[in-house]
Amino acid sequence: MKVEDVVCPFCGCLCDDLVVEVEGARVVSVENGCTLANEKFLGDHRLKAPIRKTDRAWEQVSYDEAIDETVGILLDADRPLLYGWSGTHGEAQSVGVHLGEILGALIDNTSTVCHGPSIMAIQEVGHPGCTLGQVKNRADVVVYWGTNPIDAHPRHMSRYTTFADGFFLSDAFRERKVIVVDVRRTESAQVADEFVKIDAGGDYAVLAALRAIVRGKRSLIPTSVSGVSREQLFRMADTLLGAKFVAIFFGLGLTMSQGKYKNIRNAIELTAELNRHTKCTISPMRGHWNVYGSNEVFTWISGYPYAVDFSRGIAFYNPGETTSIDVLRRGECDACLVVASDPGAHFPKACAEHLARIPTVQIDPHVNATTHLARLQIPVAVTGIDAEGTAYRMDGVPIRTRKLFCGTYPSDTDVLTKIYDRVKEEKKHG
Amino acid sequence: MRVILETKPRRKPKIPIEAEAITPQNFLIKNDIRVYEGNKERKLDEIFYVTTEGPAVSADQVEIVLSGETGVIKRVGEYMNAGRIVIEGDIGMHCGNFMSAGEIIIRGNADAWLGREMRGGVIRCEGNADHYCGAGYRGEKRGMRGGTIEVMGNAGDYTAEYLSGGEVRIMGDCGDLPGVEMRAGTLIIGGDCYRPCGNMTGGTCMVFGTAGAMLPTFISTGAEVREFCSKRMEMNVFRGDVANRGKGTLLVRKQ
Amino acid sequence: MAELLVKNAFVIDPLSGIRGEIMDIAIRDGKIVEDAGANAEVIDAQGCLTLPGGIDSHTHVCGTKVNFGRYMSPEDMRAGRTQRKGVMHVTSGYSVPTTFGNSYRYSTMGYTTLLEGAMAPLEARHTHEEFTATPHQDMLANTLFDGNWSIMEAVRDKDLKRAAAVVAWTLAAVKGFAIKLTNPGGTEAWGFGEDVHSIHDLVPHFGVTPAEIIETMIRANEILNLPHSVHLHCNNLGVPGNFRTTLETIDRVPDLNSRRQTLYLTHVQFHAYGGSTWKDISSKSEDIARAVNSRPQVAIDMGQVMFGRTTTMTADGPMEFKLYMLHHNKWSNHDVELETGSGIIPVFYSRKSLVNCVMWAIGLELALLTRDPWQCMLSTDNPNGAPFVKYPEIIALLMSRRFRDRESELLDPRTGHYVPLFAIERELDWYEIAVMTRAAQAKALGITGIGKGHLAPGAQADIAIYPLKPGELDPAAEYKQVMAGFGKTRFTIKRGRVVARDGEVVVEGANSTIWTKANIPPELDLSADREFVKKFEQYYTVRMSNYPVQDVYLPRGVCIGTEVSL
Repeated sequence: MKVEDVVCPFCGCLCDDLVVEVEGARVVSVENGCTLANEKFLGDHRLKAPIRKTDRAWEQVSYDEAIDETVGILLDADRPLLYGWSGTHGEAQSVGVHLGEILGALIDNTSTVCHGPSIMAIQEVGHPGCTLGQVKNRADVVVYWGTNPIDAHPRHMSRYTTFADGFFLSDAFRERKVIVVDVRRTESAQVADEFVKIDAGGDYAVLAALRAIVRGKRSLIPTSVSGVSREQLFRMADTLLGAKFVAIFFGLGLTMSQGKYKNIRNAIELTAELNRHTKCTISPMRGHWNVYGSNEVFTWISGYPYAVDFSRGIAFYNPGETTSIDVLRRGECDACLVVASDPGAHFPKACAEHLARIPTVQIDPHVNATTHLARLQIPVAVTGIDAEGTAYRMDGVPIRTRKLFCGTYPSDTDVLTKIYDRVKEEKKHG
Repeated sequence: MRVILETKPRRKPKIPIEAEAITPQNFLIKNDIRVYEGNKERKLDEIFYVTTEGPAVSADQVEIVLSGETGVIKRVGEYMNAGRIVIEGDIGMHCGNFMSAGEIIIRGNADAWLGREMRGGVIRCEGNADHYCGAGYRGEKRGMRGGTIEVMGNAGDYTAEYLSGGEVRIMGDCGDLPGVEMRAGTLIIGGDCYRPCGNMTGGTCMVFGTAGAMLPTFISTGAEVREFCSKRMEMNVFRGDVANRGKGTLLVRKQ
Repeated sequence: MAELLVKNAFVIDPLSGIRGEIMDIAIRDGKIVEDAGANAEVIDAQGCLTLPGGIDSHTHVCGTKVNFGRYMSPEDMRAGRTQRKGVMHVTSGYSVPTTFGNSYRYSTMGYTTLLEGAMAPLEARHTHEEFTATPHQDMLANTLFDGNWSIMEAVRDKDLKRAAAVVAWTLAAVKGFAIKLTNPGGTEAWGFGEDVHSIHDLVPHFGVTPAEIIETMIRANEILNLPHSVHLHCNNLGVPGNFRTTLETIDRVPDLNSRRQTLYLTHVQFHAYGGSTWKDISSKSEDIARAVNSRPQVAIDMGQVMFGRTTTMTADGPMEFKLYMLHHNKWSNHDVELETGSGIIPVFYSRKSLVNCVMWAIGLELALLTRDPWQCMLSTDNPNGAPFVKYPEIIALLMSRRFRDRESELLDPRTGHYVPLFAIERELDWYEIAVMTRAAQAKALGITGIGKGHLAPGAQADIAIYPLKPGELDPAAEYKQVMAGFGKTRFTIKRGRVVARDGEVVVEGANSTIWTKANIPPELDLSADREFVKKFEQYYTVRMSNYPVQDVYLPRGVCIGTEVSL
């Protein structure tokens, strides 16, 4: 059976034009997707049933047993952490936040190791942005700063920027100018019109210099800033100032290099300054297909987009204190529920070691690096394949993922709701 | 009045204690002080051995002494408005938040956010301070507004972020971007630092060691002599941050 | 099923012609009925002021830009935090509360129905998700069309039927309620960083004027027989001298509907400025009120500014950028492809600012100078002028000259030179306040037919009982009591259930979203229009089949169907 306009649940591009062929309870072909999409739909090897770690091996348990044990672990803890969320649908994220609320837990999502700094910068200076269609239809200059879309967001350039024809640019590839700023010549740099090579850690200084140039202070720029020549800085500034619409996209090159959120802040302030001269927007290249969704859901319920601490009965937010890496590294948290993400693969060693030390439960369809740190894993349906729900694209546009067939797995929402209901019962009587 | 709080051993000693109730004014008026261990409320004597000596008729006559495993005790002295707190060792995050008067002495190291959004009073840390010493709160335009913080050792990154008044003095080194976003007040750094005063709009910062990776958007305006630890030093003077509308003053010791 | 009897209520129900009578109200199965049975639960209102549940006809509480406002403002979040308590969830936020925060605070004030001020069709799903998380109020969405490409093309082609077809298709697809125009033409110009400065400016590329857009949309609205009229945020918001734009706009409004206004102008305070710069800005409320008074086809809401800090957020992207250039606060912007824009920036309205004092006066003047309370509704364009929790203070100011005089002493002393407020003696009475906070809204929105805004048998049992006794209280003197009384109901009843009592919400909510669906003839059905579909897929970045809001997002949706008059 052919299904059209399928939403791909992999990266922040949230492409929704895939055509898949479904046979029974399997996807057998994918059209229009990139290699990441193909792997997501076709290479889908599921954990068959909930498993629990014993001294010697893994044993299968029933869903009810697994859920009961999870409830026990969470209720016993004094500082539980509910981590992940970016790989599931909004309705499940919502249950998660309410679960954190009644447990008095910490709840955090993958922003914490990704675009958390971008959010922190937005909280200082705002976010002058737009939806991706504005870029497609209008932008004549696109800047990719510290991000390599060809590798991490393969269809970004063809759907939204470099190669995407738009209403005001009918021959985008020729009318558009693409600038790539990075510490090395990446694949994306190869297709750029201009590549700006920056010394590692030098983004803040270069952004400060660009701001000064845009503000008319050319004369004080030294011959080079962080490995970028003055000539190239002037050229870049002139390109931006002479454009009709500049769209800046940035990634972990800025969020995870020295200065972190201050780099983003500088980039946003440059964008705001450019708006005095021309149209300019800035957008983070969100990684997970629904990490922005977890920010949205966390925010409308608790007021904060990630790293929320409910232990005092109100919502408290302080990156560096309430963020997962910090609470794990300090050995603070005494139980962890991981949902729809893979901290075992992404977190620093000290944090992974702590996850292995404390009772950790994972809700995830697949065996992954986190499985080996957990004592219990509960497999669920894959959102976008055999579960549906809301996702938020990297620009904030909400799209509903499709359920391609009815599988045998419960969804994240099903499992989390059972956990929530049981915790609520226990708290009423306990 | 002298209140001595010595930590008791705990089953899960790494879970921080939130102790914003530990302030001189609270010991004057309250009998039943509560602290938090994770998501559990605890009575003070569940976490500390509590000894109270002598009377007091006002908060400025109250001295609190903390000892033991104090490095994970957070928010001590929050909103403090009189009196004295002495910590015989390290102290956890947010010590002295919103403090408006009184004195806090830390014999060991201070964790992050020492003296956040301070309004007045004195904090003295004899060891090192972690990140965000004397800083503000995310999203607010103004951070520390008054008072004095003195750190005898080193400080971490973002020292005095959003500084809007008062004085922060770090005798040792600072990490990255000290004085970032500062708009008023004084930041003194006795040792080395990295990229001082990014996006500064006002106030004064003096670096008596070396300033690594100075940002290109500071304009040299001359030289001055300043004194630090009874030594007179020649300083280069800069105005900035010009990426912004910066009218701050950054002085860096001549190398 | 569930029966409730409210006894001894001092009822003011303007739509039923009741101006203050002690009566009993019987409720069964969520509706008001003639009599209650013997088993009914009894609430003794003890002679307290009892009104239909409050209806806010313009508030920003749900959706993309509201959530932007939340997550970019942790300092606002920490300023309004409350604990979990009973069924009440944790809340955060002062000027942009979380959804539960909004719902509880509105419920505490007796509000049971809210019209979200602006929803971009492309992001409607987000608005609907937040609607469900605002569980104690029925929700309606103003759907943005001001920068809609298909609309502007229809206007350019003078194709009224097509414009109507676009509206019908879009409202049904995204389950919106009404047509919202915010700085029509300006938001499209802002796509390239420009704006329009008069209703006769040409929108770049599309070659239509704001006046043409407004006129076409008004006519399309009436063809579709939509319950509400076009809801307009005029061009030139906040610009000194903009009263002329507002008067020009009002001048052009035809009278096409006998049941309600033909145009609803929102937050008119921001559009009533005389002078030509910030230095000589003055109040033109008298001119505006005169125009409104002579045109029953126009209705407005105040857009009152109150002192203190708040967050501005509108679809008017260029206006928000202007505020950024003025105040240099943190500024967010979010243009929505083919549709509209938005901007967010925190502000602080200060008594030390003459301009802010003039703004504060204008909102009150509009309410006092508009003769007919049905034509001027209470609002702050929450949170742009002030958070909605300030409504009780505004009511008290409107009811008490003495309160206004006391406040005037705290203002910049030059204010009186620029505004007529201090010469106005009028004090609104309980009936007029009841009209301005619910009855007029129900009429303006066209939702009396589904039982909103009144207490006659058949109506929805949405009732607010305030701790105020009109017979024993002189609002002109006891303004503090008025303020406290409207701030916290003794009981808020929603669909026959007590949801709030003395400031505490006591049950979990289950609200409805109300939307409209015009019965469009097949030849005007855009989903079958090849050109429309082709352009959609070409210029949007979502597929047309993924655009409509699925039924699952409206668990208890109420669809108002309309017949089209072509």
